[in-house]
Amino acid sequence: MSAAPPPAAGLAPADVDLRTRFAGKTLATPLLAASGCFAYGQQFAAFTDLRRLGGLVTKGISPAPRFGNPLPRICETAAGMLNSIGLENVGVDAFLADKLPFLRDLGISVWVNFFGTDFESYVECAERLSVGEGIDVLEMNISCPNIKKGGIEFGTVPEVAHRLTKACVEATLLPIVVKLSPNAGDIVGMAQAVAEAGAAGVSLINTITGMAIDVRKRRPRLATTYGGLSGPAIKPIALRMVHQVAKALPELPICGIGGIMSGEDALEFLMAGARTVQVGTALFAEPGAIARITDELRSLMAELGIPAIDAAVGVLEAIPPEPAYAG
Amino acid sequence: MSAAHFAATVESRRDLGGGYFILSLHTDAPAPIEDTVPGQFVMVRGDWGRDLLNPRAFSVLEVDGAQRLAILAKIFGRGTARLAAAEPGEPMTVTGPLGRGFAAPRAGCTQLLVAGGVGLPPLLFQARRAAENGRPKAVEMLYGGRGRDDLVLVDQLDAWGTPYALATDDGSVGREGRVTLLLEERIATAKAAGEAIEILACGPTPMLAAVRTIGLAAGVATYLCLEENMACGFGVCLGCAVPVHGPRPYRYCCTDGPVFDAEEVRWP
Repeated sequence: MSAAPPPAAGLAPADVDLRTRFAGKTLATPLLAASGCFAYGQQFAAFTDLRRLGGLVTKGISPAPRFGNPLPRICETAAGMLNSIGLENVGVDAFLADKLPFLRDLGISVWVNFFGTDFESYVECAERLSVGEGIDVLEMNISCPNIKKGGIEFGTVPEVAHRLTKACVEATLLPIVVKLSPNAGDIVGMAQAVAEAGAAGVSLINTITGMAIDVRKRRPRLATTYGGLSGPAIKPIALRMVHQVAKALPELPICGIGGIMSGEDALEFLMAGARTVQVGTALFAEPGAIARITDELRSLMAELGIPAIDAAVGVLEAIPPEPAYAG
Repeated sequence: MSAAHFAATVESRRDLGGGYFILSLHTDAPAPIEDTVPGQFVMVRGDWGRDLLNPRAFSVLEVDGAQRLAILAKIFGRGTARLAAAEPGEPMTVTGPLGRGFAAPRAGCTQLLVAGGVGLPPLLFQARRAAENGRPKAVEMLYGGRGRDDLVLVDQLDAWGTPYALATDDGSVGREGRVTLLLEERIATAKAAGEAIEILACGPTPMLAAVRTIGLAAGVATYLCLEENMACGFGVCLGCAVPVHGPRPYRYCCTDGPVFDAEEVRWP
């Protein structure tokens, strides 16, 4: 096996440069809080210094407010959890008026996740969010399993995703990063379709559709029967998809998501080809998880002699082939 | 919200039989727990790595200053089983105190504390506070369970001078039958005597549904301390929605509750 590059002599954690470029902006660190796991930020101020985040992604915003799904909405599973919240959110107007000012003043990268219930409302949402001051990225959710009408095609059929992305890109001056669904059959085809439509990058992966059953009650554990699986259980799948897209589309910025709980998890995503990563489910148990993971990433990069994010992104090396079998 | 996320260690674990146990936690650095209101809860998680991902919500049983708190739990699933095996010195993380608790008893109005099984902690805490404030009889506990093993810590009520009545399904202790039987009788007595009462209840959902029906029918103000699945405890995951009447179909157990006015709750 080829040896890893020798550690740079005397690299201290403080010397590691965590800045990263994404969608035309520089982030102080590659770590963002994932959509749906950070609400609109305020709740976390009591527990952690929000300025330690590279950025945050808001709860998904739709043109009109949504009330969400019936109970039960969540259930814990092996090394993960299922949710079917139903994209509950305050709607564009209340978001711009009541939630955005707080976020804008934090001095970190602000990504607003958005979605519609049909083609027109996606475009309308992108358009109306564009007037918001302090938004760095619009993250387009074409992959939430918890919405019925049209949701599946947007996230799984490349031509449909292409058309939708193109229309939204034309409706706003803000960069659009498309959050892809792991439920798509061809993740590379989806990434390529949205990249060609003008997406500034892709976030992957969203939750994986799953199910759990209460055998004593003979009922599904979620009111909607199926929900989105998140947490460490999905990390290997997320890494594989990030790697596939990064290999096929080396110029396309990727934000890696899926079960990140440690600095080492984050570095795995960077090495697979992501330039930024999002931390989601871990925030429920540990509101300050991102600050800890940032410290761990910095220490680990110093230990491994990796001075900067660019030196970590996509540096994965192949396992050398075995000598041929000759009996 | 004056809650914090802090490290704590298990100071002691006391097994009460029947799967019930008290876990006392200690924190080296003072935490904002001193003024915890009965009904408020904490999210507790052990050093569980990547499986058992989420913390568990527990109503606070008691606090002692800014560095000690105790919860009462019953082994129910994987999380409570781990906590029931926790040894002194084991590290935990705690988020809290969270949510909105019960109102303190008002002068001239008796609070009937209707507890079912593992729903005891917030009501025992309420009784403790009343006793500490020199008004042990401002509350009355009506406490029910399946059998003898489900009625724990009754000796504390004796020590505080809190009036109480017990009921068990199997008749092993107190009245045979549901705790709601005691409630219906007590409401009738109060009505006959023109006594002002209100109901505070915590327990299994079927019991709370029955208490709600009885309280509403009798025109008695009724407050329910609810329990829902929650991942975070502070209004982010939105898992713990509670169906309500009003301008919106749902409110949240963690931030709007866990104590809700029975009139507001949208149950059958």
